[in-house]
Amino acid sequence: MATASGGDEFVDKFPDEAAIIKASFLIAFVSLGIGAFFGLIQALHRTNVFRVIDSADYYTVLTGHGVLLAIVFTIFFLCGVFHWAVARSLDRPAESALFSWAWVGLMTTGAVLATVAILGGFVPNLGMSADVLFTFYAPLQAHPIFYIGLAMFIVGTWLAGADWFLSYRAWRQEHPDERIPLQTFMVLTTMIMWYISTLGVAVSVVFFLIPWSLGLIESVNPLLTRTLFWYFGHPIVYFWLMPAYLLWYTVLPKLAGGRLFSDPLARVVFVLFLLLSTPVGIHHQYLDPGIAEGFKFIAMTNTMFLLLPSLLTAFTVVASVEHGARQRGGEGYLRWLGALPWRDPAFTGMALAGAMFAAGGFSGMINAGMNINYLIHNTLWVPGHFHLTVGTAVALTMMAGSYWLVPQVTGRKLYSRPIGLLQVIMWFVGMVFMSNAMHRAGLAGIPRRTAEPQYQNFEFLTPIGSIFELRVQIALGGTLLFLSVVLFLFNILLTSLGEESDRPVDSYLPEPLSGPEGSPRILDNLTMWTGIAAVLVVLAYTLPLAGIIQNGGGLFGGGLPVPATVSAGVDLVLTTVTSAFNTLWGVVA
Amino acid sequence: MPANADSQGDSGQADPPVDSIVGTADDGIVRELGHDDFDPVGTLVLVLIYMAILIGMWVFMYFVEFLGRGLTVVG
Repeated sequence: MATASGGDEFVDKFPDEAAIIKASFLIAFVSLGIGAFFGLIQALHRTNVFRVIDSADYYTVLTGHGVLLAIVFTIFFLCGVFHWAVARSLDRPAESALFSWAWVGLMTTGAVLATVAILGGFVPNLGMSADVLFTFYAPLQAHPIFYIGLAMFIVGTWLAGADWFLSYRAWRQEHPDERIPLQTFMVLTTMIMWYISTLGVAVSVVFFLIPWSLGLIESVNPLLTRTLFWYFGHPIVYFWLMPAYLLWYTVLPKLAGGRLFSDPLARVVFVLFLLLSTPVGIHHQYLDPGIAEGFKFIAMTNTMFLLLPSLLTAFTVVASVEHGARQRGGEGYLRWLGALPWRDPAFTGMALAGAMFAAGGFSGMINAGMNINYLIHNTLWVPGHFHLTVGTAVALTMMAGSYWLVPQVTGRKLYSRPIGLLQVIMWFVGMVFMSNAMHRAGLAGIPRRTAEPQYQNFEFLTPIGSIFELRVQIALGGTLLFLSVVLFLFNILLTSLGEESDRPVDSYLPEPLSGPEGSPRILDNLTMWTGIAAVLVVLAYTLPLAGIIQNGGGLFGGGLPVPATVSAGVDLVLTTVTSAFNTLWGVVA
Repeated sequence: MPANADSQGDSGQADPPVDSIVGTADDGIVRELGHDDFDPVGTLVLVLIYMAILIGMWVFMYFVEFLGRGLTVVG
């Protein structure tokens, strides 16, 4: 497909890549539609406003909502964005279209298998279900097809990363002395982080969960699968966030009418995420027995370091947007905000997503704090937090970004800017209701992950407002969010069915105010950063994992976790190292 | 000159209205600001407002969750 003018649009220059991106977006948007529908059912069910399912089926719906939105939608969209970013910034097509279709096909097959296993929960006679929630660790067990589908999906993402590294290698051979273009740098650092972090979940799924669900092994060590899940389960947060950051850093300034404030600062931020994202997962396990307090404290410290790249981003992105406003005539300390293009849904959606992320930063700091986390752990506060982060910062940025990206890969003008604007504002308002109510409900102690969030002879109390008001807000928020997704899908569908356009979008991206030439070349040394990231992971995880294996009855469990001490992990590591040394010495001697 | 001048259609056809296209904000540029001309004072103001909100919410959490209910963690 080419634009009517056959001009410089992305679809004209890279038709094969545009087809890959369209396929990725299509699967992402189908998942978004189903996942959002499940979200509506949950919001109405939990608040007892309208119940169409049995409470037992709530967990099937909850799993579908989590997996389809937090894994399938986000990662397929990410693959589309990254494929676009690499081709655009390196100005070259992928090395093999067949290889690109291979990862799309593998990821799609995996996603379909996992979804079929989840939906099987609605048909009890089928003997297939996967009501294990997004956090798919033992002791909850899913049908093997669920785990096999997830494994295929993850391998598909690895191949996608290989596709982009191959493009980079080919580009590097032709440009030996040039700095890595910023968007490609962002993609590569994100994928290195992804390779490191998915090793944990791959080990968990392939060596423990699949054999266990097939009946090949009798038991697993639940704390080990849980820890391996969170080893991947927190970096995946940044895997969702990095494409949003890529759009905020490289597209949002242009949408605002300005230029990126600092290319070097953007590189520093992505390197910091590569280094700091993975050695933090234990902060999800502050209340788990079997992990010594000292390791939890290290995880907390590492987590607090992660605030740095987020705060750097807040400064750089806001300064870039302000640059746009001032170029458009904005004045004063705050009046410049009025000079921004608030009628453009792509800009407004991303800006509102960023504002929500700032709020999510606050609840994230509460989650990360080791003792204050005890107050809100396993309450509705936590879903309130990630509806601000992945649910708004990421999802809203992806939808807003689609209004700018979809015309580039289809060659068709956005069907309606006003509907797009209404959609992003509706999402923002819906999420204000939902996340505000969820956070406050969490402070009142209302639990998460349950269809029946009430106890007999016990009444939850709120410091401000009432529980009834919170439930109404959640139901109202969930309804607005679902309607927003319907509007989004409607707008995108009609866009893709529209006429070819001479100028479907203004796709030009201006150069940063401060370019890469001002940054040290060591920032582009990906091998070195990968090595440091790996060392940090080894430092953060070796002793806790050793302790978990020792305290939890070995690799395959069999016993209940017991309270742990740091010395247990140290003992096992020392024993293993001594034994290996003795064996080696025996061979040498 | 608009920063996106080189992306303007050169097909000889009339461009669609600016406000119907996504990403056309830079068509409204009234002055070019280089690196040295730009002082992000507005960003500083927003960051300070955010920090003030953050501190306020921490104080709120502290009073609601700790002082209001006694010691819940220590012990």
